[in-house]
Amino acid sequence: MAKTSLDKKFDRIRDLEEAGKLKSSSGSRALRKLLSNRLAVVGIAIFLVILLSSIFAPLITSHDPQKIDLRSMLQSPSWEHIFGTDRTGRDVFARILYGGRVSILVGLGSALVSASFGVAIGCYSGYRGGWIDTIALRVSEIFMSFPQIILVLLLVSIVGQSLFNLIVIFVISGWGAMYRLARARMLSLREEEYVQALQSFGVSTFKICYKHILPNALGPIMVNVTLTTAMFILAEAGLSFLGLGVPLSIPTWGNILNVAQDLRVLQNNWWMWLPVGAVISLFVLSVNFIGDGLRDSTDPTLQG
Amino acid sequence: MLTFIVRRLLITLPMMLVISFLVYLGLELTPGDAVSHMIDPEVANEVTPEQLAQLRAAYGLDKSFIERYGIWLVNIVQGNFGHSLSGGVSISAIVLDRLPATLELSVFALLFSTLIGCVLGTISALRRGSATDSTLTVVGMLGVSIPEFFFGLVAILIFALHLNWLPVGGRLMPGDESFIDHLPNIILPGIVLSLMMTAGVMRYSRSAMLDSLSREFIRTARSKGLPEWRINLVHGFRVALTPVVVLIGFRLPTLIGGSVIIEEVFQWPGVGSEFIEAVRGSDYPLVMSIALMSVFAVLMASLIVDVLTALIDPRVRLG
Repeated sequence: MAKTSLDKKFDRIRDLEEAGKLKSSSGSRALRKLLSNRLAVVGIAIFLVILLSSIFAPLITSHDPQKIDLRSMLQSPSWEHIFGTDRTGRDVFARILYGGRVSILVGLGSALVSASFGVAIGCYSGYRGGWIDTIALRVSEIFMSFPQIILVLLLVSIVGQSLFNLIVIFVISGWGAMYRLARARMLSLREEEYVQALQSFGVSTFKICYKHILPNALGPIMVNVTLTTAMFILAEAGLSFLGLGVPLSIPTWGNILNVAQDLRVLQNNWWMWLPVGAVISLFVLSVNFIGDGLRDSTDPTLQG
Repeated sequence: MLTFIVRRLLITLPMMLVISFLVYLGLELTPGDAVSHMIDPEVANEVTPEQLAQLRAAYGLDKSFIERYGIWLVNIVQGNFGHSLSGGVSISAIVLDRLPATLELSVFALLFSTLIGCVLGTISALRRGSATDSTLTVVGMLGVSIPEFFFGLVAILIFALHLNWLPVGGRLMPGDESFIDHLPNIILPGIVLSLMMTAGVMRYSRSAMLDSLSREFIRTARSKGLPEWRINLVHGFRVALTPVVVLIGFRLPTLIGGSVIIEEVFQWPGVGSEFIEAVRGSDYPLVMSIALMSVFAVLMASLIVDVLTALIDPRVRLG
């Protein structure tokens, strides 16, 4: 009984294959699987809403995030100012929208740059092996033995605070994990038969590495990029909250939260820090949902 | 076993040496040296270059870079980290003064997060696929998504400012003597610090528990007719516990990182808040020394974890 139903299933798959339908759908299988994961879809929705409203901030609010208006200091939320105003009369809602641009840029940008570095080094050294690999591995171990925030603060104290410096510092502290991941994937992928075939055809090392093997390692790398983005956004918020991240003159989510170090603001002016904290949490949550969904949809051992 | 420890040490020691060299390099590259900070700005104009050179020679600063590094390293090994720029207090004295507070907070957070994380993870695994399981998964996600310091601020607002149950921050009030006296002070920072780690432990213990529940000895236990709670707790959980306990060592970096910001939010007088003060004040010797100590702590922890794992699982030793 079970056998016949299994046979039918195989027949159906073979029919599909002959009709050429299976191939086209297999490419988007990961995407379809991602979209069938409810949490991931919620995550993508929240992510897009926050990302787009930051990008199109001027269309959403007419307030200037930097404009000081001493006549409307410390106003609680109203129709005019949805999240009220801060101590110098700046519109908090506008600051959250414009701040999102910088915070997302720092988070996503640092994650992408550290992934590029980590993956570029990891792929090559993992494939080639030998002394290059040993050196890269030891160097990454050194960076990774620092607790992340200690390394970041240490570098901040040496190079000083600026937006660019912060991204560089995040890349320095973040490439190691990406490198490790790419290298580990490479070590197993380089033993595959198609790699031997390519080698015997005399294809150049670079081409084998980056064009033929790398695409097969992209799944876990993408997952890691999302999780690293979440981590960097949290790190930026934390550092700026301490006043050690992006210079205070630039609105970022962390810099807006900075005022909450004052207990009076904390108690009396909730609108100045509660909404922005909620936005950070929601954004990071959405990125984590997406990352989790990606993990489930790209992991071949979970492929159904 | 001994060869394993020796081999492991042979990896860790050179690494410590390289890191200490990098930190010393950073110290040399940052502006000023020990002498330029010793001179009172008011008399700086009256000091002649010859006097400066003499002073530098007296402290060994005219020697070559490698020699200076050697002197510095020997001092560090002897526990002498030099002096902080602000106030000129010895760095080891500052850290020793601040360490108990940090340890207190960390141990509290470690115990709390391990306990709660294991319980929630086990419940989640036992009720796999149920509403409880998915709720806990989402709550765990929230736990790693909310910035710890923001959670701390909300906790201060609710429990300290509005309800007035617990103090806003600080560690020792005047007149506090025993641990019980300042127990209220540690509750908020301790729980907030545990939050992120609890989520991690929960996730880990859930999968460890699921793994151990699918093993054959569970089926054997069930076929012997043991009560379900005994199968789950005595047989399943005990096996799942080993990797979870080993995980404690690996959580040290998270713990150090988390405690830096949480100490600042709750004005907890620990090493973390001292570190932030040092970064703010560009007190390079203090920044570098604390960073160096934290790296050593992490390396030592991972060494101990590896040795413990090898003790528990002989396969590791041979690998």
